[in-house]
Formats: sequence, structure tokens, C-alpha cells
Amino acid sequence: MVATVLRLRLTTTRHQLQREWWRLLVVIGGAVWALSLLPSTWWASRALEQQNAGVRLDALTAISAILMAGWVVIPVLITGLDDTLDPGRFSSLGIPPRSIMPGLTVSIFLTVPSAFFLAVLGLLAMSWRPNGAATLAVAFAWVALTHATLILSARVSVAWTARVLQSRRAREAALVAILVGALVATPVAYTLVSEGLDTLLNIDVPALLEALRWTPVGLPVAAAGAAAAGAWWAVAWRLGASLAWTLLLYAVWRANVSYTLVHPTYRGSGARARDDAVLASAKRAQRAVASRAGGAQRAVASRARRYWVTDPRYLSGLVSVMVFPALFFVLVYPIFGSPVAVVMSIPVMVAGTIGWGRHNDVAFDSTALWLDVVSGRLGREVMRGRVAATLTWAVPLVTVVGLVALGLAGRWDLAPAEFGAIAGVLGTSLGVSAVSAVALPYRAPAPGENPFSAEVGSVGAGFLAQVVSSISAWIVAVPVTLPLVAAIRWDARFGWLGLVLGVATGVGVLVVATRWAGHLYDRKSGRLVNAVA
Amino acid sequence: MTPDSPPAALALRGLSKRFGATIAVDALDLDIPAGSFYGIVGPNGAGKTTTLSMATGLLTPDAGTVLVHGVDLWRDPDRAKPTLGVLPDGLRTFDRLTGAELISYAGLLRGMPPAMVEERRDDLLAALDLDAVGRTLVADYSAGMTKKIALACALVHAPRVLVLDEPFEAVDPVSAKAIRRILQDFAATGGTVVMSSHVMALVERVCDYVAIVGHGRVLAHGTLEEVSGGGDLEERFVGLVGDTSERRDLTWLRQS
Repeated sequence: MVATVLRLRLTTTRHQLQREWWRLLVVIGGAVWALSLLPSTWWASRALEQQNAGVRLDALTAISAILMAGWVVIPVLITGLDDTLDPGRFSSLGIPPRSIMPGLTVSIFLTVPSAFFLAVLGLLAMSWRPNGAATLAVAFAWVALTHATLILSARVSVAWTARVLQSRRAREAALVAILVGALVATPVAYTLVSEGLDTLLNIDVPALLEALRWTPVGLPVAAAGAAAAGAWWAVAWRLGASLAWTLLLYAVWRANVSYTLVHPTYRGSGARARDDAVLASAKRAQRAVASRAGGAQRAVASRARRYWVTDPRYLSGLVSVMVFPALFFVLVYPIFGSPVAVVMSIPVMVAGTIGWGRHNDVAFDSTALWLDVVSGRLGREVMRGRVAATLTWAVPLVTVVGLVALGLAGRWDLAPAEFGAIAGVLGTSLGVSAVSAVALPYRAPAPGENPFSAEVGSVGAGFLAQVVSSISAWIVAVPVTLPLVAAIRWDARFGWLGLVLGVATGVGVLVVATRWAGHLYDRKSGRLVNAVA
Repeated sequence: MTPDSPPAALALRGLSKRFGATIAVDALDLDIPAGSFYGIVGPNGAGKTTTLSMATGLLTPDAGTVLVHGVDLWRDPDRAKPTLGVLPDGLRTFDRLTGAELISYAGLLRGMPPAMVEERRDDLLAALDLDAVGRTLVADYSAGMTKKIALACALVHAPRVLVLDEPFEAVDPVSAKAIRRILQDFAATGGTVVMSSHVMALVERVCDYVAIVGHGRVLAHGTLEEVSGGGDLEERFVGLVGDTSERRDLTWLRQS
């Protein structure tokens, strides 16, 4: 069965590469890039070898923690995970998890990133050479355990985030949990701050690393440290505990695979009656404006608002936009404080993230594309409708985040500069995304699929679009943020210039770019359906 | 086409499409007379869906033109598309709207005033026996119900030409009868219906014209009688396309 599953994986990958040969270039490019990083890793390992065991221990703890954070967060927020062997696809075959798990387990370890990080960890483990063969052996146990934990953690985090977003009730529960967590965390953070900054400032990096060594992240590293010190009991229980943690992660992942095998995700979740919101919106508009111009645009906007509240793929985008400011303002800022410039840049970044996040919108919306295309030359209306739906939640969100930032920093004099920059960045990035979504669409997970899945090499397929759209967004956004910098640095009165410039540029770029995107949409309409559906 | 025959509602001229090394449609010519109920049949992979996609603006042809009542679809979509009603096959529908909302959406996209959309939406839901589920998300529909709601979207703006890819697939007999009656009425009053199918019995029953497509070309076309030659359409079809598979009995499947 292991061989069957692995052969299936290799065959699908081969077919995919045959169909779209350029993916192979992306895979090779990624591998070459990864290989090019190994010499510097080797050099770092040699440098660590020269240090004493304490420094080495701290460095490796920090590296483990960063890698772990990366493997847990990046697949959920940015890349998704290769889902060639999504267990949901086996659900019609009636395979028990017992017979499929070994094959799945081997296959998740046989990926380019997995091999790369195994090599990195192995090179770093070599830095324990001065402490003798026994310590080196424990260091390689660290490699094995950390590597397994990294890969299993990524699977677990993606699987469970997807599952939470899948059902409405779980979504609501998660939202409540986040709100309660924020409510608890804020007073705790403030108390800590008021109880004495001195104690807090003592929680410096070494103490943090020491604490990390008592968590699953740092336990295997600490085992190597204990081996260097000759404390073999300490080595034994630490390795035992991290092995137990790895097995626990495996069990959690396995539990999710078993669940997925009998719960295919492709069906809706129960029938709920709704009134016709699309028509109601059109009628309201008709009463308000007494004109039927823009009926198509309004229809697209009300449809787009529907997917913003019901589609896990969009919800995950929404959540990932809000995670960063929430963490910063609820946890980081109250505890550590921050310079004004950093606080002021957060809302601007949120605006940019929202805008840039729409750079593959047409592919995400692939199921509606054919109806839009056969209905006539509607590119401009379609693109405007989408932007309008995004703005209905983005504008209130960035306004609130902006007000929070101004309030926390106590710099209300920066309000015009701040809102100018927000408006400018939001408008320009949405504009760039509108054009990119039509010009460079890449395959997105279909509705009902795991929102965090990625096809082999599609991380690279999207890579070009992501690089082009983000560089363009940066270039267009820089001028509108300069007055904010000037206002913080020299004189808040620059803010008024920033407000005028930001609003004018934001609105101007958005209008022109949406029009251009719509034109492009009409020209490409006969190729778009084939490109994304 | 003879001079006394009616002008073409849909004329395909030299349509070609190639995907990589595969030629899906190979310089295909076809005239579909106005007021006809036209069936396009062909084996799987013959290029039916690719042809209909190019004829409805969903797929840019590599070469060739599409004329809808004389208007070039790819040159002048603003005039051609409003006269077309389209039901594609193999494309998913935006299923997070309710059935009623999806029809309204299609109507509003076509620039119809809301009052007219509302009236026609309710008519279509009733005619296709969907009133009971009009307020349910399309995601919760069965395959046949999804097909019917997509058909309603194709009808809402009262087009002159309907292009339907496998309209009866997965539809139950009662609904199929209702759909057949709607389409036959439409054709009887001067509308044109083009539908693809691989169910010969159905084509024989509802269509007055038929074209047999294979390997991206039209192998035979004309009125039903002309093509079937007075005999059985299925036999003519198999004769033209060729009985591709050698007959092999699955003896191990027999239960006794």
C-alpha cells in the first residue's frame, strides 16, 4: 500500500509536469535556490562550532523556534500545502486510515522543502562535533525529531484551520475564542506593564530561549545541550518527551485524515432559506438613483459580498489580514511598546495586505466567470463590483485599525497623514490587484476545496504573479506614504498634503486601474474561463 | 444551403481549436437555421463542448468566425451576446447564491430592470418546478436541479438563440418533459435551440435537424430524416463514427 500511494503521487506529479512543463522549471529553480543556501548554512555551522556549548544551544533553540513558527504559519497564510494526496480524494474508495496512513506519511516527507530543511538541520547538527560522538548522536536525534515535528505541525495546522473554516458553527466558535482571548490578554498585558517595566525588561532574549527549551520546540535542542554537559538522564527524558510530542502530532494528523476520509468537503452544510438579496439590492439602488445604469455592477457586488461571508477561501483571507494587527495591538504593543513610526505603519500595512490579497481574484471567483462572460461585455462592471464588495468591509476595517493606532500612540495630530497614507495604499494596491487578477491569473483552490491547498508547482505558478503584483504595488504605494514619514519625522502639517495626495492617488489609481482591468477582461474573456476553471 | 432555406441563426465558419498536440476542433463549418431545434451529437471527445464554447464566447477560437443572426460574435459581442442564451457543460455554477438569486443575478447582468427580473424569476422557478427550493443555496441542489437553474439563467433574458450543452443530463423525466415543452414552444415561435447530447433517442424525439460531429469535424448534417436516411439515427451514428471498441465480454462480472 505504501508503494501504491507513493506511485500514485509520483504519477500525478509526472502527468502534471508533462501537461504544464514550465512548472518543472519552477521546481528546478526552487531546488537550485535551496541548494544555493546550503553553503551558507554550512558556514554558519562551522561558525557555531567555534562557539562554546551555551551559545550554540541558544542559537539552535532560536533557529528551531523560527523554523517551527514558519512551518506552522506560512502554509496557512501564504503558500498552502501540496494536496496531491488530499485524503478527501480517497473518500469514495472506502480505504481504512490504517492502510493509507503509512503511504501518506512517507509522501509528506518526500517533498523539496522537506529535503531542504532536513539538510539544513543536519548541517547545523554537525556543529556539535567538538563535544564528542555521543553528543553528535543526540544532535542527530534532534534533527530527526525536529524535522518530523516541522512537517507534521504544518499538516496539523493546515488541516485544523481548514476544518474550523469549513463549518459555520466552528467558525463562530473560533471567533468567540479569539475575542475572549483578546479580552483576557489585554488586561493581563496592561497589568504586566503597570506592575513594573523593570521585571518585563528582564524577560530578555536569553530568558525567552531558556523558557523555549522547556517547550516541545526546544526540548530536543536542550537534549543535545545536556549531552554536551554529560547529564544523560536529562538527555533521556527530553528525547522521550519530544518523541511523545511527535507521536501526539502524528495522532492528531491521523485523526484528521480519518475524519476527512468519511467527511468529503464538497457538499454544502444544510439547507437554509434565504430571501433574494441580489434582487433586493438592485431594487434599493433603483429607488435611490432612479436609473438602471450599473445594474450589472451592483449585482456583481452583492454576489461578491455573499462570498466574503460564506466562502472559507475568502474568510481565510479576511482572517489572515486581521491576525497581524490584532497580535500587534493586543500583545506586542502593550508589553514591549513601539516607536510611533512602527505603530503608524501597521494600519498602512493592513491596507496594503487587503489590496494585494485580491491579486488573484478572478481565479478565486472562477465558478461565476462563465455567466459573467456569456452575459456580454461586462468587464468594467464585474471588476468594479468586486472592488465595491471588498471596500464595504475594508474601509471600516482600516478606519478602525487607523483610529486604534492613533489612539494608542496618542498622536491625533498625525490623523490626516495616517488616513491619507491608508487611503492611498488601499486604493493603489487594490488597483494593481485588479489588473494583475486579469492579466496574470493562476489556479486557485475551487470553492469547497481546502482553502490552504496548493498544487505541485502552483506556488511557483503564482510566484510570478505574486512578485509582479507586489513589486508594482510597492512602487505605486511608496509616493503616498512619504508624507506620513515626513509628518512623523518633521512636522505633522505634512499630513494635510498626505491626505490630499493619498485620497487623490488612491481613488485615481483605483478608478483608472479598474477600468483598465475591465477592458483587459473583455479582451481576454475567451481565454480567462479556460485559464482558471 | 439552398436559397429557399431560412437564414442561419448561428453560423460557424472554419472554427478551429487546438490544445497542445491535440486538435479539438478542425476547421468546422455548420449552419443552424433560424427556428430549428438542432441536435449536435458525437462520441465523447468529439469536440462538441469545445465547439459550443467557441460559439458562445467562452473560448477564443484559434481561427474561424461565429455569426449569430449575421453578427460576428467575436468582433461585435455587444450586439451578438444579448441574443444568445447559454447553458455550458462541465463548468461549475456560482453556488453560494440561492436558486432565485442566481436567476436574478443573470437577469441583472443582462441589464434588465429589477421589476422584470422579479416577474420572470418567479415564472421560471414555477415552470421548472423549483419554487420549493428557490430560497435554498444552489450548493445544496442535486445535479439535476443545478442543471435546471442554469437553464433558467440561460432563458431569463428571452434570447433568440439558445445554445445548450447536455441540457437533459441528470434531469428527472418529469422535469425533462417540462423542459422539452418549454424548448419546443420556443422553437415553434421562431426561436432557435442548439443542443448537444449523446442520447440518440432524445435527439430523435425532439430535434428536427441534427449534425454528427467526430474528430472535430462535421461528419453529416441536415434534417433528421436526411441524416438518419429513413433508418435509425443510432445506427447511422455508429456507422459514421465507427464501432471503436472491440467487443470483449466481461465474463468475471457475471453473477451466475
